[in-house]
Amino acid sequence: MSAHRPQLSRRGFLGGSLLFVAGAAVGCSTSPTGGDSSGAKTTLNVWSHAYGEAGTQQALTRYAEAFTKANPDIAVKVTWTPGDYGAKLNSALLTDGAPDVFEIGDFSQAMARRGQLAALDDVYGSAKSDFSQGNLDYMTVDGKLYGVKMIDDVMMLYYRKSALAKAGINPPTTFDELAAAAKALTTKNTKGLFVGNDGLGDTPALAVLSNGGDLVTNGKVVFDSPQAAEAVAALKRLADDQSLLLGFTTDWWDPSALIQNVVPMQWCGLWAMPAIKTALGDDFGVLPWPAFKAGGSPVLRVGGWTACVNAKGKHVDAAKKFVQWLWVDQTDLQKDWSESYGFHVPPRASVAAAADKLAQGAAKETVELAAKYGKHNPNTWDSEVSTPFSAAAKKIVSGQGDAAQLLSDAAKQAQTALDKQHT
Amino acid sequence: MNAPTSDTTERSERAGRPAATPRGPAPARRRRPADLRTWGAFALLTAPMLIGLGIFKYVAIGWSFLLSLSNAHGTIALGQWVGLDNYRQLLSDDTFRSSLGKILLFTVFIVPVTFVVSLGLALLVNRVRRGRAVVRTAFLIPTAVSYVAASLVWKMCLFNGLPAGIANMVGGWFGMDSVPWLQTTDPPLYWIVLVTLRLWLQVGFYMVLFLAGLQAIPKEIDEAAALDGATGFRKLMRITLPMLRNTSVAVLMLQFIAAFQAFDEFYNLFSSGLSGTATAPVQTPLVYLYNTSMGSQNYGLGSAGAFVLTALIVAVTLIQGRLTGFGKGEE
Amino acid sequence: MTTLFKRLRPGARGLLVGVLTVLFLTPFYLMLRNALMDTKGLTSPEWTWWPAQMHWENFTALFSDPTLHMGQALGNSLLIAGITAPLSTLLASAAGYAFARIPVPGRGALLALVIATLMIPGSVTFVPTFVVVGSMGGVNTLWGVIVPGLFNPFAVLLFRNFYLQFPAEIEEAGRLDGLGWLGLYRRIALPSSGAMLASLGALAFIDSWNAFLWPLVIGQDPSSWTAQIALSTFLTSQTINLPGLFAGAVVTIAPLVAMFLIAQRYIVEGIATTGLKG
Repeated sequence: MSAHRPQLSRRGFLGGSLLFVAGAAVGCSTSPTGGDSSGAKTTLNVWSHAYGEAGTQQALTRYAEAFTKANPDIAVKVTWTPGDYGAKLNSALLTDGAPDVFEIGDFSQAMARRGQLAALDDVYGSAKSDFSQGNLDYMTVDGKLYGVKMIDDVMMLYYRKSALAKAGINPPTTFDELAAAAKALTTKNTKGLFVGNDGLGDTPALAVLSNGGDLVTNGKVVFDSPQAAEAVAALKRLADDQSLLLGFTTDWWDPSALIQNVVPMQWCGLWAMPAIKTALGDDFGVLPWPAFKAGGSPVLRVGGWTACVNAKGKHVDAAKKFVQWLWVDQTDLQKDWSESYGFHVPPRASVAAAADKLAQGAAKETVELAAKYGKHNPNTWDSEVSTPFSAAAKKIVSGQGDAAQLLSDAAKQAQTALDKQHT
Repeated sequence: MNAPTSDTTERSERAGRPAATPRGPAPARRRRPADLRTWGAFALLTAPMLIGLGIFKYVAIGWSFLLSLSNAHGTIALGQWVGLDNYRQLLSDDTFRSSLGKILLFTVFIVPVTFVVSLGLALLVNRVRRGRAVVRTAFLIPTAVSYVAASLVWKMCLFNGLPAGIANMVGGWFGMDSVPWLQTTDPPLYWIVLVTLRLWLQVGFYMVLFLAGLQAIPKEIDEAAALDGATGFRKLMRITLPMLRNTSVAVLMLQFIAAFQAFDEFYNLFSSGLSGTATAPVQTPLVYLYNTSMGSQNYGLGSAGAFVLTALIVAVTLIQGRLTGFGKGEE
Repeated sequence: MTTLFKRLRPGARGLLVGVLTVLFLTPFYLMLRNALMDTKGLTSPEWTWWPAQMHWENFTALFSDPTLHMGQALGNSLLIAGITAPLSTLLASAAGYAFARIPVPGRGALLALVIATLMIPGSVTFVPTFVVVGSMGGVNTLWGVIVPGLFNPFAVLLFRNFYLQFPAEIEEAGRLDGLGWLGLYRRIALPSSGAMLASLGALAFIDSWNAFLWPLVIGQDPSSWTAQIALSTFLTSQTINLPGLFAGAVVTIAPLVAMFLIAQRYIVEGIATTGLKG
């Protein structure tokens, strides 16, 4: 480098960069949000993860507009957040621009204990008895309610009736049968079963629950029980048989693999049923994750999303009003949200009873199965508690050690994290 | 790196000037040692940089050291002192320890491979007579691509787990079965994906460094070597490489630091939407820190991790500096 | 220059260069091809070299779909890199000049403080930086993305070395014209550093444009996403539109590829400077 080069003048350099900046400023557009802010005193920032079904974002924006129409002094800005929702939400909560209302997937009591969530008992009003006791317990911390369940999501096994019939296989009722079916349905170019791109997805928890084990009971981490270790260790068989689809373009919560004929069996959710029905007609059935063995229990997972109010937000009262209006009072909108895009079970019993699309065919079957075998994660199951379990399961199925030992180590780590939730 | 440089600075400034005369260029005689205007000018020119580095390096490290001694869940405020608890938890965490092991493995693999390939490319391009600019551009242009875009091509196209993925398709021509490249842990095929991706993105950059080094080798040395009959591999080892010593040391250093900080491609190749990277076959320390602080909101533990990693890198840098005399020949 | 490759016959060497060139350019071809196909063609096991029908709408869809935020993300990236590159280079040049030329006591100690930060790699300390920027209210703001990246101690060192070699006679002439230190820097030193500014500025632009971890940590709200974050979000998203994803990749790398082709000399110069003095 020397000073004798043909020189780029300082003015040219600065001028060029100013042009960049100007161009960038023009390129900026306003972010797409719902609600009309003209004349409103308060603007609520509402965060939602990106639902995969077409029309969901427009629907949420429509609800927000309707709310502003009913409450002209409160505008609502919907922030649609694709990708790693948990991490994005967590760091946003530390800031001034934190959302006032947000949904969370797995409700975490730790957030309530840390003072991040506002208590919502007064939001429920007389409708409280219309919500299931299970859901209320789930969101109760030290006697107060910290969320309103928006939807119950049921997760279960889908299978292609024609593919199983062609191979002469009956729908599996034990883990052994499932593993055998997955193996039999695997050919040179297609795999038998899709549970997630990492080869695990929900299966470690399902294995534990299907063999009479549990994740957390009464504040104690118990996923290292003998029956849990036995069931998780058995998952290795799926990996060894090479009958799992891995590395697909979308993950298990998207039905593309099943629809595009890439696998005949997939763990997915009730939300995907409309898309699956459109693509496959009647050529599909639903099953719970089978009992690990005789004496175990079939299991479906019930998750869903919970509306919460940021206790440290600037507009707590307006935020509560919004949650109450949409997720408690507006039963027609709840019905629309639950059955017009993907299928979800409305948490309010009266809304669920009126949801006619859930009252027929495979959807009805799923709802009944969920009532019988559905399990939801404990509200202590946050990422610090669940990560050691997933990591241990990953090691077990890839044959890096003894299941009982790995799970016991992971349980200790998880217990430490769980104990900290109370401090 | 720090001490030697400031030494040389002062030595070179002292050299040739009486101690009493103010330092600096010739006109110093007409000025008092450091009058107000000189001070003002110095302060004005350096203040933004010094304040910026002060806040974003020194204050940041200091603050996060304090945070690493606190229980900071879901908050970045200091307060709940817990002593060395976070460090204890960090060092007993299997995930963190294995992430250190994995990054070490990655580093000892990627650094020599990148070194050899970029040196090879430089030697090759240096020999090209016609169209050298075109060839150089072709090797350099991947440097313009981000890790995110490259991860996309590698994950969704080249090493897609389906039979339609390019690697599987090419394998299929030779009768191989389709494999899920990123998920196969036995053998760990994901290393192929990670290493080829980084190679593609990086070798152009280091090739340019080597090219500059090669062009700085005096013609006479080259000709003398030719007279002595040194050719091919022998010449490379005896003449070319020793002449490239400074460049090589710089390249190794840059590569080491870059490899140790790997995050982008690991995150984008293995993370999948809501489930994050907990079950990824390989996590780097930075991915671990990201999950700890951004995912679990445990900023105390995250700070402890950042502190341990920084200490490790500083230690390695100092040792490497001592061993190679790096930074001494600067002026 | 005799090297290992002299043993190879020119023909074989040409072939090797040709094969490598094609290999290095293949990912670009794949990106473009995939961006112009439809999903069905893309996931089909039958290989097609080039789409029979070009789906340009994949590109327009990127900007018309409000959930993607692509237009805004590109704007953010342009703004961030457009501010970071010239500003960080200028700051480094100013500090480098002062450290090289202006004699004040304590200068050596201050320089040592600057150089010591070289050993602390930027991305390892993202948690501490997040803590500091977060407590100043910088999360989800553009300044929060930009400001921590403005201070490059390495560039200070490079500029200092550059100004140390700057001929004193030119400055002397300026001083006779009555210029003070600031005047000397602005009128004489800075205008003579054009090539250096351009080289380091170009590298800073590339780094800023391609930065991932820091914008990911600090810019969580879709309104402050950069192009890289937007792209990564679609890549790890719940539902994936493959051709759209590749179209997004093409759009995010196109500005830099164009810049490489236009300003390659400065970039090569910048890389060579960076490494050799490092």
